Amino acid sequence: MQYLIHMSRKLLWLGALMLLLFAFTAPQLMAQSVRPPGNAVNLDDGTEPGPSNALGDVSDTEIWDQFRGGDPANLLGPALDGQAMTTTGQQWRMVRENLIRKYLGWLPLIVIGLLAVFYLIRGPMRISAGRSGKTIPRFSHNARLAHWFMAAVFIILGLTGLIILLGRPVIAPYLGLQANSILTSAAMQGHNLFGPLFIVALVWLFIKFVRGNFFQLVDLKWIFKLGGFFGSHVSSRQFNFGEKSWFWMVILGGIVISATGILLLFPWLVDDIRWLQLSTIFHALAAVVLIAVAFGHVYVGTIGMEGSIDSMLKGEVDENWAKEHHDLWYEEVTGKSAKEETS
Amino acid sequence: MSFLEFVEGPLFAVAAGIFLFGAFWRIVGIIRIGRKKDIAPPKASAAAGFVKGNLRHFLPRGIFAKRTAVHIIAGYGFHLGLFVLVFFGAFHVEFLNERILGFAWPTLPRWGFILASEIAFAGLIVLWVRRISDPVMRLISTPDDHIGSWLTFIMMLSGCFALQESHEMLRAMHMLIVDIWLIYFPFSRLMHAFTFVLSRGNSGATYGRKGMNL
Repeated sequence: MQYLIHMSRKLLWLGALMLLLFAFTAPQLMAQSVRPPGNAVNLDDGTEPGPSNALGDVSDTEIWDQFRGGDPANLLGPALDGQAMTTTGQQWRMVRENLIRKYLGWLPLIVIGLLAVFYLIRGPMRISAGRSGKTIPRFSHNARLAHWFMAAVFIILGLTGLIILLGRPVIAPYLGLQANSILTSAAMQGHNLFGPLFIVALVWLFIKFVRGNFFQLVDLKWIFKLGGFFGSHVSSRQFNFGEKSWFWMVILGGIVISATGILLLFPWLVDDIRWLQLSTIFHALAAVVLIAVAFGHVYVGTIGMEGSIDSMLKGEVDENWAKEHHDLWYEEVTGKSAKEETS
Repeated sequence: MSFLEFVEGPLFAVAAGIFLFGAFWRIVGIIRIGRKKDIAPPKASAAAGFVKGNLRHFLPRGIFAKRTAVHIIAGYGFHLGLFVLVFFGAFHVEFLNERILGFAWPTLPRWGFILASEIAFAGLIVLWVRRISDPVMRLISTPDDHIGSWLTFIMMLSGCFALQESHEMLRAMHMLIVDIWLIYFPFSRLMHAFTFVLSRGNSGATYGRKGMNL
């Protein structure tokens, strides 16, 4: 008997609790319903104007699916007949947000980290025979102007481009949305104005440096010896494989950046928005890769290799530097043997 | 008073005053130095030499034309570009009209302003890059040269950043740098914008008086 009374009390408590829960949740559940009451839509009684069964019998999801059509996985797929909406905008946004913005920004930082580790382990590459005090001309003044002009424009475009690309996820959380808005507006104007100068710089750089930058058989040795970065000497002409690769990366990457940049600056040149969506992706991809590799270029040209910076600042390099890093070029321009001189 | 109102109002008035008075003071000072009296009888007109000296320097000497082509093009690009965008940019003409002069003149369309800016930027970058990459130029350059170049570059860049007219802060930053540039101008080599006439004229008059073919 006592057991029954005990159970009855428990059931009463449980019932009261259920009632209480329902009282609190019912209004929210009602409010969240997308289905209006039946009499609100099916007004075929002649009392109010308007079509009957206005919302139909299909769900919102089905309606939007019919609007979209097409294959959402196919970014470049042609629009289907009768398709009212494309999904490419959403696809583009997902790629930009989830791949480009999320991961690409790390690439320059990874390169900087690797260079720092390499510098700590290997240290700067000294001229093993020391400076001779005698120099030989390496780059003309016009070639240096072309290089530094490109460097200046590249730095401005790189900084402004990174602010445009990564401002929202990187700057806004720390400095606030207003500061990010100001910086992005400024960066966008700067980027658009300096963009055309990049094309000028690219053409100038190509004209001044293409000679000597074609790949040759001797470059294979450079590859097999890992560029001499880990000890062994490696022969090369005026430009080694690394320099040649960097040159062609800049030229080809620069062409991609320039072409996509032109489309983004003058969007009316194309009538399909997918070209613009692809342009933003390839523009960012090529630019961030070039920025990342540029850190390596700057490293080797400054603290990574003794005597390198002289070639671009003074136009001349120490003879021992030339013998060590560009022995075949040294022999070509001086007519002397690099081996005999250094030994 | 907002920051923008301050940099466009009282600070700009002070900066413009220092610019005008300082530049005038220096030019008068240079003229007052005078020239050493030449007791030799003149073979030709010194005044004609002054004018000819000024005009002749606008063109490169034949034997140097090829070697100096890049920085001459850059020099013209920068100076003409800057002149055009300062005096024919719609924002600048509007500012001068409303704040100082009370009258306006035809302005460049936006694309023309952008083009002039790009030419000016390209020229200034090449000129500064030449300063650091040419051993002789590097040797004769003083901190004043670099500060003048950089201040001008930052002034132009801040103006470019404010082009969208979306934030008052960007316009205020541009005006602040303009004010600093105006104050720095009379005390620096930026004065060459005015003194080049006297410098070229002095050489031209000296050689002209001696009857030399400039």
